[in-house]
Amino acid sequence: MTFPVFASGDVLNASDMNAVGLWLVKTQTVGTGVSSVTVNNAFSADYDNYKIIWSGGQSSAAAEIYMQLTTGGTASTASYYGALAWVSLTTAAVSGASDNNAARWSWAGAGAGANDGAASLNVDLLGPYLAKRTRLHNAQVVYATVYGTYTGLHDLGNSYDGFKLTPYSGTISGGTIRVYGYRN
Amino acid sequence: MTRPLIQIDDEVREMTDDEYAALLEQGWTPGEEPTDD
Repeated sequence: MTFPVFASGDVLNASDMNAVGLWLVKTQTVGTGVSSVTVNNAFSADYDNYKIIWSGGQSSAAAEIYMQLTTGGTASTASYYGALAWVSLTTAAVSGASDNNAARWSWAGAGAGANDGAASLNVDLLGPYLAKRTRLHNAQVVYATVYGTYTGLHDLGNSYDGFKLTPYSGTISGGTIRVYGYRN
Repeated sequence: MTRPLIQIDDEVREMTDDEYAALLEQGWTPGEEPTDD
């Protein structure tokens, strides 16, 4: 067994492959000037937990990126909870904001303007496909001069197979959304 | 008036009236011109 370093010509044994911890399960390119993106068939019974990354994109306005869980393309619009803690780069002032039974997770990501890569999202979702409460961890919000972290809970015991991203204002363009499944 | 574009997987199209109404209901605005990065 050569895991975790494979050499050319190695046989990929089941034990080696089953030890791979992270699998790319969905790739979605973001279009130009869209006000929302829904990614279907991202979650399944194959994995309990997921990492979602959107990189290389941009936004038409400096705005947070909402996230909602979807089933068959239809978004769940209730019971989102979350807490944001953020810091001003210029003053170092610490502030907070929250979602309290909101219609979405409000700070899953953020866009800071129209330069390539200036909008992004990087979150972990625990159990979205399971008929249990979905938890959102490790979201980073990167505006122009304010950075923060966000943690959330979706307080419904439903199963979801996808998600929807919507900027608070304006549109988003470009980049790639990649969904990874953490091996159970 | 042109409605915003919506993307569902690889499909990009103009929103329907109902979709646009739902977007406005959650407080969405067309937004400002980019200011910085």
